[in-house]
Amino acid sequence: MAKHINLTILFTLLLVGIFSKDSLHLSTNLLSLFADKKSIETLSIANNLGYSREMLVAVKGFDSKSKKKVRQLAKEFKKLKHIKYIYYSIVPTEKIQQYYKSHYGVLADFDNKKIDESWVKKRLKEVYDKQLSSVFYTNVNKSDPLSLFSLKSSDVLAKSHRGSYITLGDYGFLMRVVTDIDPSDMNYSKELYTDVNRIVLKYKDVVVFAPFFYTVENSQKIQDNVELIMVISTLFLLFVYFLLLKNMKLLFHTLVALASSMLFATLICALFVENFSVLSLAFGMSLTAVSIDYLLHYHFHNFYQSCKKVDKNVLFGYMTTVAAFVILAFLPIPLISQISIFALLSLSFAYVLFTFVFVYLDIKPYKELPKQQTQKSKNKIPASVLFVVSIVLIGYGGANFSFNGNIRDLDYQNKHLLKLEKLFKTNSSTKYSPVVVEAPTKEILLKRLHTIKKEYKDTFSLASFVLDTKTCMEKKQKLKEYDFEKLKRLINKEASKIGFRDGYFKDAYAFAKKDISCGIGDDDLFASYGLGIYKDKNRYYSTVFVKDTKLLKEYDFVTSLDVKEMFRKSAKTMYRDLVEFGLGVLVLIFALLFFSVKNRFVYALNYILFPFGVTLAVLTTFTTINIMHLFSLIIVVAIGIDYGIYMANSTKEQNTMTAIKYSLLSTFSAFGVLIFSSITALNSIGVVITLGCGAILILIKGMR
Amino acid sequence: MFRTFLLFLLFATTLFAKSYNFTELRYSDAIGRYTQVDGVIEFFNDGLKIVYPKAKKELIYKDDDLHYLQEGREIELPSLQKAQMAQYFELLGLIHRGDSSEISEMFDISQKDGMKILTPTGSIKNYIKYIQLQEDSKLFHNIKLFLQNNDTISITIDG
Repeated sequence: MAKHINLTILFTLLLVGIFSKDSLHLSTNLLSLFADKKSIETLSIANNLGYSREMLVAVKGFDSKSKKKVRQLAKEFKKLKHIKYIYYSIVPTEKIQQYYKSHYGVLADFDNKKIDESWVKKRLKEVYDKQLSSVFYTNVNKSDPLSLFSLKSSDVLAKSHRGSYITLGDYGFLMRVVTDIDPSDMNYSKELYTDVNRIVLKYKDVVVFAPFFYTVENSQKIQDNVELIMVISTLFLLFVYFLLLKNMKLLFHTLVALASSMLFATLICALFVENFSVLSLAFGMSLTAVSIDYLLHYHFHNFYQSCKKVDKNVLFGYMTTVAAFVILAFLPIPLISQISIFALLSLSFAYVLFTFVFVYLDIKPYKELPKQQTQKSKNKIPASVLFVVSIVLIGYGGANFSFNGNIRDLDYQNKHLLKLEKLFKTNSSTKYSPVVVEAPTKEILLKRLHTIKKEYKDTFSLASFVLDTKTCMEKKQKLKEYDFEKLKRLINKEASKIGFRDGYFKDAYAFAKKDISCGIGDDDLFASYGLGIYKDKNRYYSTVFVKDTKLLKEYDFVTSLDVKEMFRKSAKTMYRDLVEFGLGVLVLIFALLFFSVKNRFVYALNYILFPFGVTLAVLTTFTTINIMHLFSLIIVVAIGIDYGIYMANSTKEQNTMTAIKYSLLSTFSAFGVLIFSSITALNSIGVVITLGCGAILILIKGMR
Repeated sequence: MFRTFLLFLLFATTLFAKSYNFTELRYSDAIGRYTQVDGVIEFFNDGLKIVYPKAKKELIYKDDDLHYLQEGREIELPSLQKAQMAQYFELLGLIHRGDSSEISEMFDISQKDGMKILTPTGSIKNYIKYIQLQEDSKLFHNIKLFLQNNDTISITIDG
């Protein structure tokens, strides 16, 4: 029975996996992995305000054929599921026109100058004469024949159209399609993406872009990339393990143990960790392969044939690595904490299997090879020299250090979509960026929007269309105080004398006497302009479009929606957190290291400092450092510490070196392949781990 | 019925291929009177030009932009008037081009007393009740716009 325990564990886990299949969930939304909670919340509000649910369609050119294409596309899009509104014309929607009609009295500027009979007569005569003499048709405004009311149009809208069609700068016509798609919802995103592309393919010179296109295209690319890398990595590892162990039984059980460890961690994470990412899974699985160094150390030191319960060196190595991941699991960066949790679980599971289960597997002892001619000790570099070199390299790296805070650079670089996004941004003649304004009530929200409008005239918000309550009430009072009835009687009297039809102005200024409601009733009334109102947990939100979002920094109720800026800020915080947590990890590692190796402290310390220094120096010479480089550097440190302890405490140096070399080879096989990934996040990890492994190899070969 | 309409549009397109003298008869409901202006209309790709020789005034509508010239000098029109006129010219251009699919997108098409009736379905229905197109076997046709304020504009191309 004991002989089958390893396999039993794997099958048990597989059964658990099969039964809980429906509860397992993996996220493919990469950006949410790097964003802090506040940014995710802001983006969620922006989503609800329609910001990232919008799809932009551009039709090249301004001729009638292009217009026809716009209309035909609109017709086809209208039939699709998940499409809420389509706007390609500046002509206000029916609802907005109705709003203008009912609120004209307060929306228009009213000139309440004192009017005498002769002025009314003169004005009406001008209107009458124009009807007879003008070569162009002009209508008579029977509601306001004296033009006492004037309504200003919004400049922002006026700049971006040709005729009634909305334009994208000099590129062509623009259509804005509002969808109900949440960009993180893979299924719906994919469904609409497929439908839209099927339609667009039929037309020439039409381009479409929507944020959810990234979800669909990038997720697919990431999934394909990760799958390919995992296959390559697995094959490579299998080959390496077979070469190293030359023991089919041990190889088989090692693979079973690794699979069990990965499965155990996957089940726990996919069941209990919120939004556990496929990227964390891929990286976590690669990290699990690191645990083979426990097995190699045990095997090459014939631990399974000894009667020892534990091997101190492996225990110290495991504890140090796990301690580092425990600290990192608390890091408020979802990706890193997810990977750390996965690594903690899988490494611990693997440690338990390799230490306590493998002793029951009747593994043949390792036959020591005849002693090889090793490099003479005197030809090796003293630890103190390498220590100084490491410090110099770290100093050099520190001096050259430049941090790339753009988290989007870590994502798969979808050149096609980035180009499309740029096309829409660069051709947009309005160059306005959105910010979100929040308030506890709708009334305060309007007031705040007007505060901004008053200070920064060149902004576009609901304040351009809806008056704040105070101004609205004042205007209503102004209308109430004016004697429109008397004016109407005068107009009708004079109009008849001039030659207008009797009673033509019988309803003149009736709109000014109507009871007009202040504020905004329908939250979606101006959604066609991207100016909806969204309510969430007793807070109200709306958008303001502004040329320079920094201008509104002074208002604490304003949040920028500049995603790039948001992620840059987020990256800065992550960088700070990572440095703080990284220092914590280092302190802990130094303490554990000192406790483990005591008088060979500098020798063991080099296994941390030298790989760290070499990697940092190479990276800073050739590239800018990103958050994944930093995280991987911590992994290099965590790996290095195991080897430092093994080497410093080794009684059979030859066997330890063989175990470490093989372990390095397996680590390189697991992570090195990430170098070939086209996802910057994974590629960065691959580069750092490869450099780190190379540096450790130099130490094993060349340090005394 | 629709085939006859297409034939008419084809006919109209041939007719409009060069400059045409026209008479514009307007009825103003406010004053209960008709006024008449004469001019020359010329259609070209994505636009048209109307010249009123007596008043020495020109209107050029091209690429969705309207220019008003008096004695060769450009004069800025009030934005609201400009927008309304642009919409009106766009409509004339559309009817001239005779693109049946475009027309049927914007209007319900019917026939009454030997005339085509185009009833707007979109936002222009706020200004225009319907448009009446008159067919004739002679080289002559007429477009009459019935506006929501009870004004009418009738353009007759001189034969």
